[in-house]
Amino acid sequence: MDCAVIQGDLLAYHFAVAAAEERARIEAHLLECTTCLRAYLALKAHVERTDEAGKGPSEESRLRLRAAVEERFRPTPGRRLRRWLARPIPRYQSLAVAAAVILVAALAPAVSRQLGQRATADATGRVDTSRTTAESLSIY
Amino acid sequence: MDSDEILYARVKQGDVSAFDELYARHAPRLFAFLRSQVPSAADAEDILHEALLSTLESREVTFDRACFRTWLYRIARNAALNRARSRGRGDAALGNLPEEPPAPAADEQLAHAQRMHALDVAVSRLPGALADVYHLRSSGLSYEEIAEVLNIPLGTIKSRMHQMVGALRQELGTWTAQ
Repeated sequence: MDCAVIQGDLLAYHFAVAAAEERARIEAHLLECTTCLRAYLALKAHVERTDEAGKGPSEESRLRLRAAVEERFRPTPGRRLRRWLARPIPRYQSLAVAAAVILVAALAPAVSRQLGQRATADATGRVDTSRTTAESLSIY
Repeated sequence: MDSDEILYARVKQGDVSAFDELYARHAPRLFAFLRSQVPSAADAEDILHEALLSTLESREVTFDRACFRTWLYRIARNAALNRARSRGRGDAALGNLPEEPPAPAADEQLAHAQRMHALDVAVSRLPGALADVYHLRSSGLSYEEIAEVLNIPLGTIKSRMHQMVGALRQELGTWTAQ
């Protein structure tokens, strides 16, 4: 296999635009030819810029950004409260709360009626302690 | 290992170590991508800073359709375009011309450096739409992610990838032949 032909196809191979047959042909060649394999690895490193060690963002820039993130997202009581209020509530919890509210609303009239009746009974059976005479005990 | 999206949520809870991990994962490649978009390293650092903070702060960032990396590159690319627009495209294009290859120690290194320099020159001559797919793909984004970042259909990305490789091959001629 002609190395020049293979190396001419390495870009298409790298960017995965080579046809399946062409890919298979290139891969078979790369397994056998160290020169072309080296050329491919060098091309890949260059295209992906992994051969540019030390050309990343500066340490000062990283620290500046880190400080900004820390400042922006540092937990404070106010932020904790806002986060707690904005937290997503699971559906089953919402359903349970709704069911409890409906139950209370449904039972409220009956309970209030019962409480009213008990209050009336208490009022009629109350001993009048303001009177000192035996009349105050007329109930008996 | 936590996914980007989990790290993102942890940063928003105030966990700076999660930010360190996100930065280590994405900053080097994003910076290299930005270097291809703006003329100076200082500009690339500024945009990196702005893009990461915006991605973390934005309320629009949700992960139902696009992943963290897609958002990050989309925001960074828009910031780079805005900066290039405000400074004038001429300056940016001038700044993006590849540097001369460094003096090599041996013949093989010389040949390699020349080939890579030729590739850089060919990439710098690509039309904007094709250069975009070259740089985003070189940053490790999938076709689907590139489509999301550029907001164009997946089929168009595939077609541009073919055009891009064709244009580079034509420009480079027999550069790879030894």
